[in-house]
Amino acid sequence: MDFGLRLTVASALSLAPLGPLTLRLAHLQVLRHEALSERAEGEFSRTASEAAPRADITDRKGRVLARSVPTWSVFLDKKMLKDPAELGRKLGPILKVAPGELERKARASGRFCWLKTGVDFPTAQAVQAARVECVGLTPSSQRVYPNEGLARPVLGVVGAEGKGLSGLELSQEKRLRGKPRRLELTRDGKGRAIHRDVAEDGEVPAPLKLTIDRNVQYIVEEALAEGAGAHAFKSGYAAVQDPRTGEILAMAAWPPNPLKNPLVQDAYEPGSTFKVVTALAAVEERLVGPAETFSGEGGKWQIAPGVTITDHEPEPDMTLAQILERSSNIGIAKVVERVGPARFFRAARALGFGLRTGVPLPGETAGDLKPFSDLGKVGLAASSYGYGLSVSPLQMLGAYSALANGGTLYEPRLLDDGTAPEKVRRVASERAVGELARMLEAVVDHGTGQPARIPGYRVAGKTGTARKLDPLTRKYSQKAYVASFAGWLPASAPRWTILVIVDEPTKGSYYGGLVAAPVFAKIGRRLLTLEAVAPDRPAEPAPDRGAVAAARRVASVPPPLRRAGR
Amino acid sequence: MNFDAGTAAKFGVGGFLVLFLCWQHVSATRLGYRVAQARKEIQRARGRVETLRLQVDQGLSPGALAAEAGRRGLIPADPDSLRVLPGRQGPIGWLTRLLARVPEPVRSALSG
Repeated sequence: MDFGLRLTVASALSLAPLGPLTLRLAHLQVLRHEALSERAEGEFSRTASEAAPRADITDRKGRVLARSVPTWSVFLDKKMLKDPAELGRKLGPILKVAPGELERKARASGRFCWLKTGVDFPTAQAVQAARVECVGLTPSSQRVYPNEGLARPVLGVVGAEGKGLSGLELSQEKRLRGKPRRLELTRDGKGRAIHRDVAEDGEVPAPLKLTIDRNVQYIVEEALAEGAGAHAFKSGYAAVQDPRTGEILAMAAWPPNPLKNPLVQDAYEPGSTFKVVTALAAVEERLVGPAETFSGEGGKWQIAPGVTITDHEPEPDMTLAQILERSSNIGIAKVVERVGPARFFRAARALGFGLRTGVPLPGETAGDLKPFSDLGKVGLAASSYGYGLSVSPLQMLGAYSALANGGTLYEPRLLDDGTAPEKVRRVASERAVGELARMLEAVVDHGTGQPARIPGYRVAGKTGTARKLDPLTRKYSQKAYVASFAGWLPASAPRWTILVIVDEPTKGSYYGGLVAAPVFAKIGRRLLTLEAVAPDRPAEPAPDRGAVAAARRVASVPPPLRRAGR
Repeated sequence: MNFDAGTAAKFGVGGFLVLFLCWQHVSATRLGYRVAQARKEIQRARGRVETLRLQVDQGLSPGALAAEAGRRGLIPADPDSLRVLPGRQGPIGWLTRLLARVPEPVRSALSG
């Protein structure tokens, strides 16, 4: 065989495998090019989304009430783990978890497990420094409330998945969440990122600014907690509103529950604080003269056969102002007879009762206010002093704010979005509201509301003490009361409307004037100091023991209606 | 095989280009790792900042301040113990001037 032939055969033999290889290459590169490219792309490229941190919630002055902070979750990939006991020994003290617990997790079935979630930066750093095999860190986010329990019924709570479950966290979910950023990541064989492109810009939401004032909120919560200590009540609510704008400055519930806001979601029978509605209707329609008197009926008045309305003390003849001062049920029932159901209902509706206020919180109740024309004489009389109907604390606060500011009902504002206050309607003439405001000042100066007095300042307000309806017997309880006080200060130029409601006080007294009014006064004093408001009345001595005793006498609560023979 | 000078130069340039591209690819990958590491560091630093910010907020919360004030024997003032001075605008005295320069949120917490 000559050299040329041998060379040809050798070449042919060595090149022979190239044929199938070329065919295979052509098959892969030409026919399956697209599918394989995609697969290769998938191996090394990945689309990831980076969630925007949930927006901060701040008070009216920009002080943080809720914030999302980055946290880390520590995980274990057990595939290469050799010594679970060592893992427990090393990480237990760092993660503050019992070493045995970590070891148990490491020995459990499954390749992956979380060792601990929501760890802070120093802990994450310590975990990294420990260099424990098969342990990794992944970033996450946690919602924190730097002021702890402050305003939690308003703020609400965020679930483990980062979604709002109650309060503003729920109602403002869309606003707080923002938009996640999408990233295109190129990774190496070990999954480490080499390069990343921003595929879609995210949106970090701006802080949500509230009308709540952190300091006012603290003052209210502290006063409520002190009241709870003094009177051992089952629960208590208090709120502060700026009557000039309708802005809610504080909203507190005791005991605090972040899952529920009773000031918005619950309704209660208001008792005597509702007498202002009857009085307003009478004054607005000029149905009662300033000097006109109504008989006190010696403390018992049979309104219908077998039905008696009682006052605790026999009262003499009273003007409308004195009826409010002494919180006389008989007096106000006589006034409502003259007012009539239609005018009374109109006044109640004008003040916002029976209608949702529109506050941006979930689960708001409208209360229960049926047309009074359906009630009959007895029902109408009971309604005139706040029985047989229910209102939400927020409605009551708004109504008193309308009386404080001269007669304009504002939508309660909780979000400070820079827009002008929303006027709902004019509730009555300036004359009528002014007249009623003077009567409510007299309630604090001479009547049942004396414990709400603040030396040097003019205060207006009304007490309320209502027996609770027993849901089982459908009768009014002889032991359980709701004590309340609603009012505003300083009366010369109202800046704060304050509502205090105490549910079932069990220690000491149960009268609104003696349980709720002192809480009101405490809040009022602190607010006046906080804002350094100049006194609007010459200094005078604080109410003496005699005045408190008088308050106790006139604030006593007879049953709303007494039926003969029952 | 004999190559003329032009062909040799072309091979040389080609070879250089291949080597350059390889070097560039390796460098880009190495830089990618460093950038990814730096991003992690940024994230950790941000986490640290947020943790510190949270500590500041917690320290300046009304509850914490009230507790501290209580420990020092301070009690809330009554409104009638205040004297509002007429006609004095802006901060007066060295302490209020100092506080006026203190940044938020320290100032806001102190002013409350």
